[in-house]
Amino acid sequence: MTRKDLLDIESLSREEIEHLLDQAGPFKELFARSVKKVPALKGKSVLTLFYEPSTRTLSSFEVAAKRLSADVTTFDVPHSSVVKGESLRDTIATLQAMRTDYIIVRNKMAGIPLAIARATRASVINAGDGAHAHPTQALLDGFTFKEVFPEPAGKKILVVGDILHSRVARSTTTLMRKLGVEVAWLGPGSLVPKHGPRDVKRFTDYDEAMKWSPDTIYLLRVQMERQTAPFFPSLREYTKLYGVTQERFKRIADQGTYIMHPGPVNRGVELCDDVMEYERCLIDQQVENGIAARMAVLYWLKPQSVLGD
Amino acid sequence: MSSLLIKNANIAAEDSDDLSKADVLVENGIITGIGKGLDAAGDTRVIDASGKVLAPAMFDTHIHMREPGQEAKETIKSGTEAAINGGVTGVVLMPNTSPAIDSAAVVRTIYDIAERDSRIPVYTSGCITKGREGKELAGIDGMLQLGVKMLTDDGDAVPDMLLLKRAMEYASEFDCFFASHCEVLELSGPRALNEGVVSCRLGIQGTPACSEEICMDRDIRLAHATGARIHIQHVSSKIGMETIRWWKQMGAKVTAEVSPHHLLFNEEDIGNYNTHYKMNPPLRTAEDNAALLQGLKEGVFDIIATDHAPHTPFEKAQDFVSAPNGITGLETAVVSLFHHYINKGEFGWGLLVNRYSAAPRRMMGLDPVPVVEGGRAEFILFDPQGSTTFTAEYMESKSQNTPFLDKTLDGSIDLVVLGEEVLLER
Repeated sequence: MTRKDLLDIESLSREEIEHLLDQAGPFKELFARSVKKVPALKGKSVLTLFYEPSTRTLSSFEVAAKRLSADVTTFDVPHSSVVKGESLRDTIATLQAMRTDYIIVRNKMAGIPLAIARATRASVINAGDGAHAHPTQALLDGFTFKEVFPEPAGKKILVVGDILHSRVARSTTTLMRKLGVEVAWLGPGSLVPKHGPRDVKRFTDYDEAMKWSPDTIYLLRVQMERQTAPFFPSLREYTKLYGVTQERFKRIADQGTYIMHPGPVNRGVELCDDVMEYERCLIDQQVENGIAARMAVLYWLKPQSVLGD
Repeated sequence: MSSLLIKNANIAAEDSDDLSKADVLVENGIITGIGKGLDAAGDTRVIDASGKVLAPAMFDTHIHMREPGQEAKETIKSGTEAAINGGVTGVVLMPNTSPAIDSAAVVRTIYDIAERDSRIPVYTSGCITKGREGKELAGIDGMLQLGVKMLTDDGDAVPDMLLLKRAMEYASEFDCFFASHCEVLELSGPRALNEGVVSCRLGIQGTPACSEEICMDRDIRLAHATGARIHIQHVSSKIGMETIRWWKQMGAKVTAEVSPHHLLFNEEDIGNYNTHYKMNPPLRTAEDNAALLQGLKEGVFDIIATDHAPHTPFEKAQDFVSAPNGITGLETAVVSLFHHYINKGEFGWGLLVNRYSAAPRRMMGLDPVPVVEGGRAEFILFDPQGSTTFTAEYMESKSQNTPFLDKTLDGSIDLVVLGEEVLLER
C-alpha cells in the first residue's frame, strides 16, 4: 500500500485513509515530548511550491517536514502568476534537476498538481488546487473528527458556506463519506452546487439544516476574493442567513454540537467571537492535528526515486 | 488509373439501409457500368470487394486546418491527407486562422495553398466580422465572389446582436448562409467543461448547456426575422436539439450539425482531467448523447461534421483549464460511427451516406456523389470485417489529440477513389 502522490481524496480507499489517520496518532504524541523530531526523512528534500498566498498550510507543511528531519526549501514563486504553458514545463524541469524528493504544491488552477505529478519522479502533495481538492486538510479534519467520535460511521456533519469555490468542502466531504459519515451542505443557493454527490443533502435554509441535527458544524471561510460576480447581496445578509450569530450559538452550545473551521476565520461573518472560546470548538485542535496528518502523509508517500522505475 | 473493376461490392446509397450487390466499372474517373458479372478489358485492374461496402466518399463541413498561422498543429497538406485517411474527399475550412479568413485576399491564399498541397477539393468559410473580433463586418462580397458560401465566426459567437442582424440583412440575399458557434460568454466561465457532476467534482466552473441554447435560439430568431439561412454548428445538448426541431417546425431556414464526439462521449469520460475529452461546446451527459442520436435519426440534424481541431501534444498536456479546446476527428469519424452505430444496428449506411456525404455537399451547393452509372467515381471501400488501430503512425494529421488514440475499432477504410486517382489503398 504505497503511493507516489497525494492529489485528492477521491482516489484513496477507505483503508488507505484509515491507515493515514492511524499513523497521525503516534506523530501527534511526539509533540508533547521535549524533542519533537524523528529521523524518518533524514537526508530527504522537501520543496514547497505555493502559487497562492498561505501562512497556515505552508508553515504546517514546513513544521511537519522538519519534525521528520527532512530538508525543506521554499521555492519562491510570485503568488500572482498563473502557471501555464511553457512556464509550468520549465518549472518542472527545474525541480527535476534539483532532484527533490517531495514537492508540495498549491495553485489556483484545478489539476495543476496532477500535471506536475505526471511529469516528475518526486512525490507530489496537493496543498490545494483551485476549487478541486485539499487532501491534507481533509485528513486533518478526519483525524480531528475521529478524536471526538472514535466510531465516525453514522455521525452527521453539516458543511456551511461557499461550497462552490471550496476545495476544503469537496475533499472533506469526500473523506467523511468514505468514513461513513453523513454529510450535508448549507449555504446560499448560488454557492451550493446542485450537482454534488447524490448522498450529500443540500440545504439553503439554516433552520431546516439544524432540524437534521448535525453532530458537527463545519464552517467555511467566506472567500470574498474568489468571487468574480456577486453570489449574495451583502456580507450582512450572509451573516443574517447563515452565520453562527450570538443567538444561534446559544442553541448550538445547548445541544453540544461541535464546531470546526479550516481557518482563517472571519469573525463577525461566518461566526461570532464567542464561538472561539467554546469548549467544543475544534479549530485549534485542527491546526495542531494538521502537522501530525501531514507528517503521516510525508512518511507514507514513496517518491519514484525510492520506488525505482 | 485508366480503368478499375470492383467485383462483388455492396453498394451503399443515401437513405436506404439496403446494400445492393454489384460489380462497378470505373473508366477515366467515371462509373461506366454497374451490374452483375461485369467483365473487364485486359489492362483493367480488378479488385475483389466481397463482403465490403462501397459508399460515396464523405464530405466534412467543419474543419480547422490551422494554416495559416498555427502550422505546428496542422497544415492544409497534413489535414487533407488526414481527410483522405478517413474517407473524406472534400472539406470546408473554418476561418479562425491567423490571420483570420475574413477577406478575398486570405481566401485566395487558402486556395493557392490547397492547389499546391491538397489532393482533394478544399472549400473555405469566411468570417462574419473582421478578424473574428465581433466589431466590424468582414469583406463579405469579395469572399462570396471567390465562391465562399458559409459565413461564420466559428470558435466564437457574434456577441453583438445588432451587428449580427445587420450582417444577416446585408448578406441574406446573396448566395450564402450563416453558421453559428453558439455561446453566451457571460455564462460560459473558463470554457472548459459542462456544468454538472463532473465540473462540481473537479472544481472547475462549468459551462451550462443554456449558454449554448440561448445563443442558438437568438441566432435562429435573428435569421428568421431577417430571412437569412442559418446553420447551427456542433449542437451538444438535448434542449439544443429540441430548439432546432421547434424552429424547423416554425418554418425557419435552419440546418444543424452534430459531431461524432457529442454523440459518443459525455462529461464522465473526462475522468481525472483527460484533455482528450475537452472541447467547446463541452461534452454533456448520457441523456444528451441519447437525445442527439435520436435527433440524428429523425433528421433534426441534417449533417454530421467533426469539428476536426488539432492541437500539439504539449498544448494538450497542460492542466485542464489551460489546455485548448478541441479534438481531431477526420480520421476517426467513419470508423467510429460504424463501430458504435452501424455495426450495432443503431442506424444503417443510408443514414451515414446522407448525413456525412450527400447532405453536406448539398448544403454547400455541390452535387452529391452517389455510386451510379454515369456518375463521377468518388467513393470509399469499407471492410466491416476489418479493424483499425488509431496509432500515431496510422494517423496523417500532425496532431493526435483524439480519445481514439491507440484504440482499436471495428471496420477499416481500404480504398479511397476520387475521379481517376486512387487516393488511398490499404
